[in-house]
Amino acid sequence: MTLVSVIGLGNVFLGDDGFGPLAVETFRCEYECPLSVEVLDLGTPGLDLAPYLYDQQLVIVVDAVHSDTAIGTLSIFHEDDFLSHKAKLRITGHDPGLWDALAHLRLAGHAPLDLIVLGVNPEACGFAEGISETVRSTASRASSMIAQALIERGIACFHREPASTPNLWWMRMEQVERSAAA
Amino acid sequence: MARISIDPVTRIEGHLRVDVEVEGGVVNKAWASCTMWRGLETILRGRDAREGWVFAQRFCGVCTTVHAVASVRAVEDALSLEIPPNAQYIRNLILIGHALHDHIVHFYHLSALDFVDILQIPKADPTKAASIAEGMSSWTGNSRQELAAVQMKVKGLVASGQLGIFSHGYWGHPAMKLSPEVNLILFSHYLQALDFQRKSCQVVAILGGKTPHIQNLAVGGVMNAINLDSLATLNMDRLGMLQSILEDLIPFVQQVFLPDTCLLAANYPEYLHLGRGVDNYLAVPDLPLDAKASKFDLPGGVIMDGNLAGVRPIVDWQDAEFRKAVTEDSAHAWYKGAGPLQPYKGEQIPDYTDFKENAKYTWVKAPRYNGSPMQAGPLANVLVGYASGHALTRKWTNTAFDRIAAVNGLKITPNDLQSTMGRYLARSIRSSMLSDLALEHLQLLKTNILNGDDTTYNAPQFPTGEIMGMGMHEAPRGALSHWVVIDKGAFTNYQAVVPTTWNASPRDEKGVPGPYETSLIGSPVVDPEKPLEVLRTVHSFDPCMACSCHTLDVTGKEIAEVKIL
Repeated sequence: MTLVSVIGLGNVFLGDDGFGPLAVETFRCEYECPLSVEVLDLGTPGLDLAPYLYDQQLVIVVDAVHSDTAIGTLSIFHEDDFLSHKAKLRITGHDPGLWDALAHLRLAGHAPLDLIVLGVNPEACGFAEGISETVRSTASRASSMIAQALIERGIACFHREPASTPNLWWMRMEQVERSAAA
Repeated sequence: MARISIDPVTRIEGHLRVDVEVEGGVVNKAWASCTMWRGLETILRGRDAREGWVFAQRFCGVCTTVHAVASVRAVEDALSLEIPPNAQYIRNLILIGHALHDHIVHFYHLSALDFVDILQIPKADPTKAASIAEGMSSWTGNSRQELAAVQMKVKGLVASGQLGIFSHGYWGHPAMKLSPEVNLILFSHYLQALDFQRKSCQVVAILGGKTPHIQNLAVGGVMNAINLDSLATLNMDRLGMLQSILEDLIPFVQQVFLPDTCLLAANYPEYLHLGRGVDNYLAVPDLPLDAKASKFDLPGGVIMDGNLAGVRPIVDWQDAEFRKAVTEDSAHAWYKGAGPLQPYKGEQIPDYTDFKENAKYTWVKAPRYNGSPMQAGPLANVLVGYASGHALTRKWTNTAFDRIAAVNGLKITPNDLQSTMGRYLARSIRSSMLSDLALEHLQLLKTNILNGDDTTYNAPQFPTGEIMGMGMHEAPRGALSHWVVIDKGAFTNYQAVVPTTWNASPRDEKGVPGPYETSLIGSPVVDPEKPLEVLRTVHSFDPCMACSCHTLDVTGKEIAEVKIL
């Protein structure tokens, strides 16, 4: 029975929008978690997010979040920050998706008990231009912030030594193209 | 004359704009425009054909699975590679789980509120509502207590003055016609559907490893290890879990979803005569039953000019006419060249001009079948099945007709399905069929395994010369085909002709409009500032602009905006 979901949101082909999938994959490789924790790259599911939030004890959403900070800053946000417009998820399909799914689940009585958003302030989210170096370099820090958020809530997770190799399949092509250009 | 532009019209990820010209309260011209470009075919060129499916399932954030399966089928077709029966059944079960999920979400969460007025719910009598609902089916979730609890929640929401996600509905619109009790019943099912949406995802996750991006596919079969005695593989435990999830899910589909669409049809009979649009239909055969894919549980075929007596069957995936007949042209789409081109030779070089209604106005190309526009989707699937005498299609279509008659005596025929309401009915009829087939394919899988067959994969061998292949799938939104050209194991061309491209097609080189555009002609629009009737017809197609175009840039528009031009 999964009680905790660590969810990466974003489109891996849209530059820094791929931060969520990158960060959760890094976390999966760097940390060992109990079976009750599920680590998922959900892409841009829109309203289809609901099944992954349903009745969860804790949901950590990792995504690119526009905020009033320097590019590459990692911050933890709560729902209020978005409602008060302090922070803004990237307006692709998945912005209305998250809050709509949450509102639906609240009405149905199956909303997660706790939900936080770990966001990075993105530089650029253009088609097939690859993730920026600034944002990419935050992945490991984001991974330890996910671990810390879990531990603070009494959920055990342990650093893996050595970390396993992340499967970043969508970056392989970029690397080939970059080396061809160089 | 009023000109109305609705942008975007979809409730989920997607970028569809519809422009209509209204004269005397009726639409007389319509344009469907996709406002984003899909770049994934460009990304796929040069990639290893064995891992194309991993990328292809990112065509869309919502219909991931369908593109993964169409992609491996295309490569297998190019290699003339058979896959083991276990792999067919496992893929079929995944596809059914995905389709049930899609159909449930579409009806309840993406379109029911075009017909259900939330503000009427506080006026309902829960006792009366329970007796109506219990008269419709033996579903156990329709008790007075259940309905009263939902009503309390809605009352709280309405009293708070903050409708939140429901604040953009056209509440109180003169085209809303349900009684308070029926509004309450449908909204109660709207909330319950969240649980069944989740259960259908679990079917996909158990077999696919993960949702929404499955991990078990391979060119040549699936990567599920089968060992009935091992804990870590597909074993009796997992198969038993699937069985019990399906047994929970299926009553919701057959005893709630199907009756709900019938209730809607009986209450909105005018939509059985609106929105017919392009009455050429295309459905492709799916749910293969053997390694060679020579027999299928869902029939394919072509119907022209709404003539249900003259279906031309598409017997299997080798169908020579289909392979020749499909073309796409860019006369009105933002690409260079005009075509029409056969998909193996397809191109997509962007040529953006802004919205020009007499020239180029969309990122969607115009697919044509022997030069004609075609409607794809559950309606095409059901009409082709019905017209070709497919027993399961007939059983559930007739059940739906009987249920509509039971509500208020309304008698309808297969011909009435060629309409906006027909598309809603067809989606629940198809879901009921798929529910029966899910249990059948699970049994086929179990029997095959118990007979000692545990193979799931045949290794592919890539020749050095150029090869071409096409993979079909009858996806939730309709006929999908991926067309690939491969050389030395890598793609040299990749084109996906997706269901929403068939339906959202712009005018073609001859000026003939596509299904969305045609279906809106004649639609009433009582209040040009609230074009609810237009939305009902567009939503009946289950538009998914994410896959028919997708992702060049962000628009920044958060909420459907209606502009009166």
